[in-house]
Amino acid sequence: MKREALPARLARYAGLILLIVGGTFPLVWIALTSLKSGPELQQFPVQYLPTHPAWSNYARVFTEQPFATFFVNSLIVSGVSTVLCVVVASLAAYALARLKLRRRNVYTTLVVVFSMFPVISLVVPLFRILRGANLLNTYPALILPYTALSLPVAILVLIAFFGSIPRDLEAAAMIDGCSRLGALRRVVVPLSAPGIVTAALLVFVNSWNEFLLALSFNTSRTMRTVSVGVTLYQGEFAFPWPLISAAIVIAVVPLVLLIVLFQKRFVTGLTAGGVKA
Amino acid sequence: MTTPTPARPRARRTLSEEGLALLLLLPAALIFGAVMLYPMLTTLYNSLFVNSLTEPYLGTPFVGLKHYADMLHDGRFLNALRNTLVYGLLTVSGSFLIGVPMALVAHAESRARWLARVAMLLPWAMPPVISALIFQWLFNGQYGVVNDLLVRLHLVSSPVAFLTSPVLAGVVLVVTVVWKTSSFVALIALGGLQGIPQELTEAAEVDGAGRVQSFWRVTLPMLAPALAVAFIFRAISAIQVFDIPYALTGGGPTASQYGATETLGIYIYRTTLEFLDFGYGAALSVALFAVSLAITALYVRFVRGDA
Repeated sequence: MKREALPARLARYAGLILLIVGGTFPLVWIALTSLKSGPELQQFPVQYLPTHPAWSNYARVFTEQPFATFFVNSLIVSGVSTVLCVVVASLAAYALARLKLRRRNVYTTLVVVFSMFPVISLVVPLFRILRGANLLNTYPALILPYTALSLPVAILVLIAFFGSIPRDLEAAAMIDGCSRLGALRRVVVPLSAPGIVTAALLVFVNSWNEFLLALSFNTSRTMRTVSVGVTLYQGEFAFPWPLISAAIVIAVVPLVLLIVLFQKRFVTGLTAGGVKA
Repeated sequence: MTTPTPARPRARRTLSEEGLALLLLLPAALIFGAVMLYPMLTTLYNSLFVNSLTEPYLGTPFVGLKHYADMLHDGRFLNALRNTLVYGLLTVSGSFLIGVPMALVAHAESRARWLARVAMLLPWAMPPVISALIFQWLFNGQYGVVNDLLVRLHLVSSPVAFLTSPVLAGVVLVVTVVWKTSSFVALIALGGLQGIPQELTEAAEVDGAGRVQSFWRVTLPMLAPALAVAFIFRAISAIQVFDIPYALTGGGPTASQYGATETLGIYIYRTTLEFLDFGYGAALSVALFAVSLAITALYVRFVRGDA
């Protein structure tokens, strides 16, 4: 590869620095704020680094609201939604990508249409259904909608992945005595593991972040999720920013971990699914 | 004479491939039906009736398309519609102006590439409500870091009350949404970039095209299909935007009579869950869905035209 000219290299470095600072600064700022105490916060010009890190803000997050419970609720709701959604989406995507099916395009188009449903239109009717079934303030009240809301994107990502596996491999497995579903389980699923991981990450992130339905369906104090939980620290007249910031940091820990661990997977997986969809 | 018992296993053994496919689609269809299609149909049905908890004496008479006609004279609806379109236009174009260069930077070979990817993915993965809270703090009128930087750079003499000025609150809203959504455009664009054979850009450079020229003549046209997909998804989410303005400004501050950042999503939320006017709220929901569907139709046409 030939060497880049100096201006091009400088432009690239400048772009890289802008991207890294722009992407991370808001969160870094929140992390710094979470360690400030009242007097340090109320200074202008702003004091950038906390001189006496107030770790007690983190303890207060858990004592002023049952934040540990919110966190566990989010883990359960997002975890179960992820498993359920990936299983259902895998079956559907296999049918749409690999099996002889008339009107395949119609079904795929329908999946796209479902991804366009405004969540806000579903709140009232779903509320009534859940109330009728006595499911308000339960985990299923969020798991079922979250599964449905992420299903379109999971199906589209998996169609792209299943579609990229050579048919011969399946055919060979079937000649060796596998049934259709056996071939799915033994050949297609293992080879699509990267796609399945991508779909699972997507569903998890979507479910962890959802706000409107969580706000509307699970209103009891012990059934809240973290995305609603972080909004509960503001008083009637005051915003205790260090406390809110600490809650935000805790709420996004799982997301940051997933991003750092799976950054490459996210990029290849999402683009493979997104563009072909 | 029929013997139903032995017929069952035979039927299962001869299940056709199409039958199997439909069977595999069934769980997804049931979930879509129960959680999305049925509620949406209920919304459509409810939009034809008066149903307001704050005016129970009206009962629930059938009014046909009256709610839809009312919208055309509803100043608050028209304000929310205008806000949605203006902020949609600004945030969608903003996310492309930032997202495409982001993708180019993240695509370039470099040792810091993993860090660039993390920085690119963070805003995308951040919960919308939390992004809104973060930017509310960044743009805080008294102790915000943005004000601090502006004062230090002598661009303003004293802190600016961003979120209480109708125009500036709109600016903050646009900045927040662009920060949050540029990543999405960048992700899709990155996929497009990875699909462009390197020989193409190299050939252009051999033919004497500069970097800039080869970007406009080769890279951008090859990227167009990916960008079109990103555009449709961004347009839909812009029209439905709720979480970010709701948590950032609550739809305010009040410009003249109506909220300066109140979007259709927020107005629907208020109508149904705060004013408890389910009939009119349902009609507003249907209108929002109709716009989304129109964009979806565009998308489907595009995908089909592309294949």
